[in-house]
Amino acid sequence: MRDYSLFVPEYIAAGAAIAIVAIELIWPRLRKDVLAYLMAAVSLGWLAASLAYLGRDPKEFMGVLVVDDFTTYFRALAAGIVFVTCLLSAQYLRRRTREASEYYGLLLTAGAGMSLMAAARELLTAYLALELLSFSLYILVGFFRRDLKSNEASLKYVLLGGFASAMLLYGISLLYGLTGNTTYDAVAEALANRSGDTDVAAIAAFVLIIAGLGFKVSAVPFHTWAPDAYTGAPVPITAFLSTASKAAGFALILRLFTNAFHTDPEEWRWLVAVVAALTIVFGNLVAIQQTNFRRLIAYSSIGQVGYMLVPVAALGYGDGEIAHAATAALLLHLTGYIISTLAAFSAFQAAYDRTGDDTIPGLRGLAETQPFLAMVITISLFSFAGLPVFAGFATKLFMFQASALPELMWLVGIAVAASFVSLYYYLMVMRQMYLFDPPEGASRFRVTPALWAAAAALMLGTIFVGAYPQPLFDAADGAASALFQEGAAPHQVRER
Amino acid sequence: MVPLENYVALSGILFALGVYAVLARRNAILVLMGIELMLNAVSLNFAAFASYLDPDRVTGAVFAVFVITVAAAEVGLALAIVIRLFRLRATSNVDEAAELKW
Repeated sequence: MRDYSLFVPEYIAAGAAIAIVAIELIWPRLRKDVLAYLMAAVSLGWLAASLAYLGRDPKEFMGVLVVDDFTTYFRALAAGIVFVTCLLSAQYLRRRTREASEYYGLLLTAGAGMSLMAAARELLTAYLALELLSFSLYILVGFFRRDLKSNEASLKYVLLGGFASAMLLYGISLLYGLTGNTTYDAVAEALANRSGDTDVAAIAAFVLIIAGLGFKVSAVPFHTWAPDAYTGAPVPITAFLSTASKAAGFALILRLFTNAFHTDPEEWRWLVAVVAALTIVFGNLVAIQQTNFRRLIAYSSIGQVGYMLVPVAALGYGDGEIAHAATAALLLHLTGYIISTLAAFSAFQAAYDRTGDDTIPGLRGLAETQPFLAMVITISLFSFAGLPVFAGFATKLFMFQASALPELMWLVGIAVAASFVSLYYYLMVMRQMYLFDPPEGASRFRVTPALWAAAAALMLGTIFVGAYPQPLFDAADGAASALFQEGAAPHQVRER
Repeated sequence: MVPLENYVALSGILFALGVYAVLARRNAILVLMGIELMLNAVSLNFAAFASYLDPDRVTGAVFAVFVITVAAAEVGLALAIVIRLFRLRATSNVDEAAELKW
C-alpha cells in the first residue's frame, strides 16, 4: 500500500529544510534570529501535523514504515526538541555566524531522521533513517568552521560514528544471513523457528548490532565520542545531541527489540544487562571528576542511558506484559529526561550567552547575578538525580519498578545506588551557583524573552511530570501498546 | 560453484582487517580506509547471502547498493571535515587533534 499521506510531518520538515536555504539565498540580509523563530514556527506546525495521526489505526507503508501511536509519540518529541533547539540557537548563532540557514535545515532533517527511526519496521529503512540523523549531527557538531574544537569534535564523532555504523551493518548482514529477510516481522518469525542451539553467528550478529546501537545512544564502552562532541559542538547542538540522538536511538531499539528480537531473547538479554551495568557505573563515576559543565552533562547523560537500558534488558527477561510495562516506563523516563535536559540547557545557554564560559566554576555566583537561571538549573539537576517532586523521581520509580524482575534485581540495585552517587556531582554545581560570590565585575543581567519563556515552561514541565505523571504516563502507555498489538506475531519465546 | 562459507570467511577477514586499521592507525584518512574495508565486508556478505539464500528477491542486493551509497556519502563528509581541520592546524593525525581530552 502506497499511502503517501502518512508522512505529512516529514514533508513539512524536509520541505522547510530546503525552503530555509532558499530564503537565506534570496534575502541574505535577513536577521539570523528571524530564521530561528521561523523554524520554531515550522516545528510547531510539524508538531500539530504529527498529533493529527494520534489514535488512528496503525498504517503500514510498503511493509517498511509504520505510522502508529509509537511513531506519533516520537514525532511529537522530535518536533518539540527541534522547537526548543531553535529558540536556544537564535541569539547564539546570530552573534557567531553569517550563514545560519544550513544549521536550521540540518536540524530539521535530523528531526525527520529521528521520526523515521521510530517508524521503521525494516532494517535497511531503519539504518538509512539512523544515518540521516547521524550525518546531520556530524555537520552540526562541526558547524563553526573556524573553531578548532568544533572541528575536532566533529572529526572524532564522524570517525567513531562510521566505525559504529559499520559494526551495526555487519551485524545486520549476519542477521540477514541467518534469517534471509530484513523486515522485523520476518526476522522475528525466522528467529523463533531457528533450529539448533545458540550459535556463533547469532551471538556475533547481536553483539555487533548492540555495539552499533550502543554507540548511537552513547552506552559504555561505546561512549568515547560523547564527552568530546558535547564539549566541542555549539551549545544548542549539545542540548540537541543529548536529547534527540538518545531518544531516536531508543525509538529504534524499542521497536527492533519488541518486534524483531523478542522471539529469541536468550542471545541478547545478558548482553544488554551487562552494557547497562557498565554504563551506569562508569558514567556516574567519571562524572564526579569533571570540571566542565558540558562534559559533566555528557557523563551524567551516559549514566541516564544506563538507567534507560535497564528496561530494555527487562524486555528480554519478562513476558509480554512485563515488556509492555517496561516499554511504557522507558518512554516516560525518556520524556522526563528530555524535558529536564532541555530546561537545564535553556538556562545554561542564557548564562553562557552572558559569560562565554562553560566550566562549572564559570557558573559561580549565578544565584546572585541571575537567580531565575540558577533555580532552573538546580531543578533540572535535582530531576536528573531523581529527587521527589521533580520528573526524574517519578519516572525512575516507574522504570525501576517495571524492570524489577528476579533476574535483574542486581542491576536495579546498581542503578539505585548510582542515583545517590550522582547527587554528589550535581550538588557540586549547585555549590558553585549558591555558595560562592560572583566573579569581580559581574552584575545582574537580563535574559532574552524567548530563552526565559523556554526555561520557565520546561521547568514547570519538569515539576508537572514529577508531581502529576499520570497524563504523560497514559500517553507513553498508549504509544507502548502500539508496539505490542500490531502484527500477527504474539509475544512468544521460542521453544528449545 | 564457490561455497558460501568462502565468501563469509573472506568477508570476516576483510572486516577484521578493517577493525584493525581503525584501531591501530592514527591518521584520519587511514582510519577512514579501515571503515571502508569494514563496509566492503558488509556489502560482500549481503551479495553472497542474497544469491545463495534468497535468490528470488533482491533485498540483499538492494542493501548492498545502499551500503555503497551511504559509505560514499560518509567518506565525502568525513574528508571535508579532515580538510577543514588540516587547514586549521596542518595535520591529519588523529593524535595531534587533542584539543579535547579523551
